[in-house]
Amino acid sequence: MAEVKQAPVLRLYNVAKTFVTPHGNVRAVEPVTLDIRQGEFISVIGPSGCGKSTLMNIVGGLIEDYEGSVEVDGIQVRGCHKEIGMVFQEESAFPWRTALDNVTFPMEAAGIAKDERVRRAMELLHLVGLDGFEKRFPSELSGGMRQRIAIARTLAFRPRILLMDEPFAALDEQTRLLLGDKVLQIQQELNQTTMLITHNIAEAVQLSDRVLIMSFRPGRIKRVVEIDLPHPRSSKMMGGERFGQLVATIWEDLREEASKGLQELERVKN
Amino acid sequence: MAAVEYIGRKATFWTVGRLRLAGLVAVLGAWELAGLSGLFFSDVLPSAFRIVRAMGQLLISREFYNHLWVTVFEVLVSFVLGAVTGTLAGLALGISRRAGDIFEPFIHYLAPTPKIVFLPILLVLFGVGMGSKIALGAISCFFPMALNIAAGVREVSPTLLRVGRTFNLTRSQTIRMIYLPALIPAVATGFRIGLAVSIVGCLLSEYKLARAGMGFLAGQYGDKFAIAHMLAVLIFIFVLASLGNAVIARFVRLPGPGDPSRGKTAFDK
Repeated sequence: MAEVKQAPVLRLYNVAKTFVTPHGNVRAVEPVTLDIRQGEFISVIGPSGCGKSTLMNIVGGLIEDYEGSVEVDGIQVRGCHKEIGMVFQEESAFPWRTALDNVTFPMEAAGIAKDERVRRAMELLHLVGLDGFEKRFPSELSGGMRQRIAIARTLAFRPRILLMDEPFAALDEQTRLLLGDKVLQIQQELNQTTMLITHNIAEAVQLSDRVLIMSFRPGRIKRVVEIDLPHPRSSKMMGGERFGQLVATIWEDLREEASKGLQELERVKN
Repeated sequence: MAAVEYIGRKATFWTVGRLRLAGLVAVLGAWELAGLSGLFFSDVLPSAFRIVRAMGQLLISREFYNHLWVTVFEVLVSFVLGAVTGTLAGLALGISRRAGDIFEPFIHYLAPTPKIVFLPILLVLFGVGMGSKIALGAISCFFPMALNIAAGVREVSPTLLRVGRTFNLTRSQTIRMIYLPALIPAVATGFRIGLAVSIVGCLLSEYKLARAGMGFLAGQYGDKFAIAHMLAVLIFIFVLASLGNAVIARFVRLPGPGDPSRGKTAFDK
């Protein structure tokens, strides 16, 4: 039997954005077209100011005014959608709620019965490796643990797509690597379609099936790099030869864009 | 050098509590010595014993409780009025940028103005009785309440609000599940400052012109040069204010683990 080609979970079609500012219009994202398959892990990498966060906010529904279309399972969506979960770079755990109550938050808002939401939240806390910390407040936990609370909370609705905007940027290098392994494990267990925004090349290579390199402003997809490292992945692969080649390939492309960004920054400052 | 160094504070005889007590004893001692030294009129600087005796006399007089009740009633009503209107105004100023831009400068300029300047108008409007005192206390309480809450609303983390948006929270859910809990510290501070200035407003206006109340009583004793009794009344006012503060601290609990030095940390497990 011929294999039926699966429809993409997430499809971006000619998505573009121009910001209107008092100093004139700024083209943040040039038309981006992209298909993401079920269970795929995609990273978007680019220099600061390449519009990757803008792209993320469009897909996540926080920016509703844009050109083009975003489709989930073939249905066009606009605005926040429960099939698309977001994890942010900044501290986002509610400081007045315990770890458990943070994870039950979206289910509480949706009116799910208490027993059910506590049961699901306990499962998710187990998934992110926070057993025994249910009753702790965020201030009692480390930065990496707080970010795991945010991930568990976002997974509460089993979103079709998990969007993460530099979720490890505020963490130290070792925590970042371990948390990357945790995210991979979650992604494999749930077959979770994931889109990660990052500017860390090694992180992108370690986690992704495909890495999208974005150009400096206006952001467009400059190149797509297939990461052909074997699965399951882990941070242990970072010493490998192929890993190094991939990092070098990506850096070659990124270097040009990053230096454009730097020049632009210096031009504006002078 | 010791190989194992003691980290943290060593337990010594001079704990914070003992130092505090020692300070109190020192002040009382200095007071007594100054009184006994004969350098001042004994009527101006009555000995602690005479003050305590005056306190006892007040506690057994029926009249005193009448004054006490008048003041407690005025403070409570003015605090509730000021806190409710201040909270609503603060929410409006914080949530609506337009309202904030228009009205907040006025509130900022009026806030440090001594509210007692309004007393003549309030006396005309509400009479010499409790009405004018309640009005002045409420006006005093309104400003710190409104400013604290408005600042608190603006300081609610934009990331937390974005989290709310990604979970499709309704407007009322956003207020109930994000704004209100995030505002508890601002409300607690507003309540504490608001209560303090309510008390000041009520007592000051009682002292100026009234027929009853603790401020009125203190003023009367002062005019009669009964300094021991006047100081006794002031001590009761102090106790009253401290009680009020303690009640607020008890009921407006800050969310979270409380004092982290007392609780266990994540690594104790």
